[in-house]
Amino acid sequence: MKGFVYPIVAVAILLLVVRRLRSSRQPPGRSLVRRLASSLGSRHLAGDTGLVAVREVRERLRGRMFKVITLILLGVVAAAIIIPTLHSSKHAVVKIGVAGSLTASQDRVVAAALAHIGLHGQFIVEPDLGSARNALRTGQVTMVIDQARALMVETPVSSSSTTTASAATVIASALGSESAFRAAGLTAAQASTLAHAKPLAIVSQAPRQKGASRGTAVIGLVFIFILLTQYLTWTLVGVMEEKASRVVEVLLATVRPVELLGGKVLGIGLVALLQAGVVVAFALILADAVGSNILHGTAPIVVVASLVWLVLAYAFYSWVFAAAGSMAERQDQAQSLSLPLSVPIIVGYILALVNAGPGPASLLIRIFAYLPPTAPFAMPLLVAKGEVAWWGFLIAVLISMASTAAVARFAGTVYQRAVLRTGRRIRVREVLSRQ
Amino acid sequence: MPNMAGILELSGLTRRFGSVTALDDLSFTVASGRVTGFLGPNGAGKTTAMRAVFGLTELDHGHVRWNGGAVDPRQRRRFGYMPEERGLYPAMLVGEQLQYLGRLHGMASGDAAEAATRWLERLDLAGRASSKVSSLSHGNQQRVQLAAALMHEPELLVLDEPMAGLDPTGIEATGAVLTEQAHAGRCVLFSSHQLDLVEELCEAVVIIDHGRVVASGEVDELETGGLPRLSVRVDGDRDGKWARDLPGIQVSEVKGGEVRLVLPPGADSDAVLDAARGAGRVLAFNFERRRLSEVFREAVRL
Repeated sequence: MKGFVYPIVAVAILLLVVRRLRSSRQPPGRSLVRRLASSLGSRHLAGDTGLVAVREVRERLRGRMFKVITLILLGVVAAAIIIPTLHSSKHAVVKIGVAGSLTASQDRVVAAALAHIGLHGQFIVEPDLGSARNALRTGQVTMVIDQARALMVETPVSSSSTTTASAATVIASALGSESAFRAAGLTAAQASTLAHAKPLAIVSQAPRQKGASRGTAVIGLVFIFILLTQYLTWTLVGVMEEKASRVVEVLLATVRPVELLGGKVLGIGLVALLQAGVVVAFALILADAVGSNILHGTAPIVVVASLVWLVLAYAFYSWVFAAAGSMAERQDQAQSLSLPLSVPIIVGYILALVNAGPGPASLLIRIFAYLPPTAPFAMPLLVAKGEVAWWGFLIAVLISMASTAAVARFAGTVYQRAVLRTGRRIRVREVLSRQ
Repeated sequence: MPNMAGILELSGLTRRFGSVTALDDLSFTVASGRVTGFLGPNGAGKTTAMRAVFGLTELDHGHVRWNGGAVDPRQRRRFGYMPEERGLYPAMLVGEQLQYLGRLHGMASGDAAEAATRWLERLDLAGRASSKVSSLSHGNQQRVQLAAALMHEPELLVLDEPMAGLDPTGIEATGAVLTEQAHAGRCVLFSSHQLDLVEELCEAVVIIDHGRVVASGEVDELETGGLPRLSVRVDGDRDGKWARDLPGIQVSEVKGGEVRLVLPPGADSDAVLDAARGAGRVLAFNFERRRLSEVFREAVRL
């Protein structure tokens, strides 16, 4: 029953978010977004930067793009979480028909044998062998234990590696041993001890594979890539449109360039964070509900690391893309500017995905994890693989923050010089040389 | 009655773009309480000068002063600007756009909402507050742009061709607002190529060419200055061919059958009358003062 409650809660939250967003479309509404926006926008709190950011958040949340992308992301995350669990839970319970009866000891050894390979046995007592065969044929049970003398299955198990085959093999072996122990004259207690003998632990030389964390890291990488690309495009196109529509001239007559640029970057960043938050919250609730393993072990740390790097990546790149937008007036100009800027993102992303498999990370990934343009992809992967210490992570964060400050300064200068020059595309050299 | 006094002073503004000199030691002042026209042929530097007031162009030399003090960003919040190329967010709602711009000029949220409603009503756009800017006609978008410049009751209003592309009703409405603002004691400077309109609206003008002032002052004074004009109408004559070869006399304008001649000192007006008679029946023969269009043309030597 518990399993049903969580998806319902998740869907309810989703509906609530969508309704909130929709209600903010009506001008006189008093929606949460609006109230939040107006309190954020009060001059005392954030000044012009705040006003600019609030406008950005409001207009973006209203747009169809935000809703469509949120829904797509939720769909992708839901699929990534639910599909693997569907696959594994299908075989979790093995229905075993019992013709005749089993002793308590036999019951126990069957259950223990199944548990050892991650399965759970459900015994269904059949009145006679005929009805047991019938149940097997119709698929009501997957195997039948006949008087503890034979194990019947529908199709031969020899060449098959299905769950039924492995279950049949371990049950047959366990019951065989159990009857051999009894035939050897062991007491019930001795037989039970032997039947429950624990196999030795198998220790491998290579470090333990963190399957769950790696799965989470891959989802995180895709997630960072999609959100980052989306929001950087918004920043680029947003700045370009302000320039193309000449509204920037009206704005800069009263607002300083750094405030306008900062407000835009902040506003779009808040929208990105909101969207990421909604998706992650949805993922956590859903994963818990369906018993997915994406949050097992160190995976929660990977989720946090991914979020941290999403924020850092946006902070680092948004300035660059905003500056590029200030140099363009048309879509095609914007595209030709954004292409070279996207190269480090794509390289970092692909390299991280290639390294996401089992085994230690390559030297390149270890280096990339400390370079601000590629760290957003490389560092969360190192975290997932357990190959970075907390201080290494911290150093990468500090390097990224320091570079962001430098990049923002540089971008601010470019923006200030380029955004008011209209009529033709401006080259970087012109902006830097300043005539 | 003027309730605030302010004076805008541009002194020695120089701005070069590569080999082009947009502003060449440009200096003039604009007083409040009256509408000042800012004239000049295309490329004279009007837009660059107006942008300089708002710090939107870097200056090589010179400075802009307001009431004797340097203009800083805080001061600019009290200015209103309507750029030559209209600048509004196309997808934003008209009312919200105005409020946003009002708030960026330092207005409180409630005041901005109230001012937006008032200005939309005043400019016949009541009921369009919830429309997207892009859904409005060109003329109505221009009215919104004007409202945006006026929202925060600016002390100084600088409008770059506010009437361009407007229909006669729009021109009249905009002109009325400018006059009203000036009479309320504000400093109003606007550029235009419609000289008849400027003549009608403005008490003072500044005419620039090649980045420097070539004439400025009260419209009345500029019009009474210079050589007197002789306005002649001859029945059936549209092109004033008869006046072309009068010795020592220059044709100033030929418009709608009216021939305007520049009379140098000592010129013989009787000779003009004889020539006119020779062309046909003379309907009008008046001595007049210069028109603004003549002041302009003579100042920029077109």
